[in-house]
Amino acid sequence: MRIVIDRPRCEGHGLCEEIAPDLMHLDDEGELILDVEELSEGSPELADAGAAVRVCPVAALTLA
Amino acid sequence: MKLTEAPRRILVIGNGIAGQTACDSLRAAGFDGDLTIVGDEPRAAYSRPALSKGLLVDGGSHALAPPTHEAAEVLGVAAVGLDVESRRVSLDDGSDLPYDGLVIATGSRARRLGGEDSVELTLRTLDDALVLRERLAARPSVVVVGAGPLGMEIASAALSAGCRVTLVADGRPMLSHLGPCLSDAFAAAAVARGLTIVVGSAAGIDDARGVVLRDGSRVAADLLVSAIGDIPNTEWLAACGLMTGGRLEADSRGRIGPGIVAAGDVAAVPTRTGVRRIPLWSSAIEQAKVAALALLAGDEAPELDFDPYFWTEQFGLNLKATGDLPAAGEPEFLLGDSPRGPSVMRWTHDDGHGVAIAVNHRIPIPRLRRMASAGA
Repeated sequence: MRIVIDRPRCEGHGLCEEIAPDLMHLDDEGELILDVEELSEGSPELADAGAAVRVCPVAALTLA
Repeated sequence: MKLTEAPRRILVIGNGIAGQTACDSLRAAGFDGDLTIVGDEPRAAYSRPALSKGLLVDGGSHALAPPTHEAAEVLGVAAVGLDVESRRVSLDDGSDLPYDGLVIATGSRARRLGGEDSVELTLRTLDDALVLRERLAARPSVVVVGAGPLGMEIASAALSAGCRVTLVADGRPMLSHLGPCLSDAFAAAAVARGLTIVVGSAAGIDDARGVVLRDGSRVAADLLVSAIGDIPNTEWLAACGLMTGGRLEADSRGRIGPGIVAAGDVAAVPTRTGVRRIPLWSSAIEQAKVAALALLAGDEAPELDFDPYFWTEQFGLNLKATGDLPAAGEPEFLLGDSPRGPSVMRWTHDDGHGVAIAVNHRIPIPRLRRMASAGA
């Protein structure tokens, strides 16, 4: 699966980073950087990725 | 906790962000047993912060990314009772569900000025927001009761929709939320955009359009909306023996009783300023993470260490705040020189904890958190 960001929607709240700091972070300008984009089926990080995309209050992230 | 005691069948009551995050966190921690989530609204979880911000203003999306935790969903059904002895939750469709582990995440509902059945509009659910947006589109005159962040966001959205708007405030807007400096700044921005603020304490409503104040005066408009706080949804727990003084009080790991945790707006949790509810999106998420782990690992799970994060958008101002609010006194400006922005401000509480607030300035929240603590 792949983490997809809808960049114009992102407001830099950073809740995704707080739940999955190994997968994504905000840079110095507050832009979200995906450190991991592709996740294989059965990857232990999938649950974290699922949580990270769901806590975004502006729905800027999806798992596709 | 010994492995033999680990729950195999976990029931999550409440399909908001706390319930959803609990499901995600359980799976992330390796729980592969039966997981069921029950929600009283017949729809997928949605973003509640988006309702009074994007959705009300420009129809922006409230959808959340669809679940990947593979919990069985029981939607459109409310919990009506909990039997801790037999470990079962009864539902309003007459059925009941067993559990080994239970997550209570039933959230809260809008407090109403005229009581549970009164006719004013409130904004808590997606249905509420859709109704309010439709009503605002006809550009009625509007009275908003309540000068907290939600009342101010509603007033701002109503002004943007072209309505004439009066706000009934029982004090300076958002004073108890943000402190005097930002209260003044936001009130000035609101008035500059055309908001009429009536200072008074609302006593009740006399019909769908009129608010009666304690001094006997009346404020009326085509549309009456109240935003006067929330009431935790604990009625279904009244007889279960887990309530403390009418409250659902969790310990520092979200635990309520054996095999039972709570998270989100429904729960009071230990904070630096006592055991209290923190009805914020960010708080619900942090509580749910902690509670899910406590259900699996007990005392070995981490304790709640929540550093509040809050944001609001209204009257052309976009505010992001970290730390314990309100912020007393005047700020130290780390960027800019006006509380109406663009600026980053810091306050330091007497106990050394800091508050950092950015207004109309994009900043990574982890950095804002570091700025809040750097003043200590």
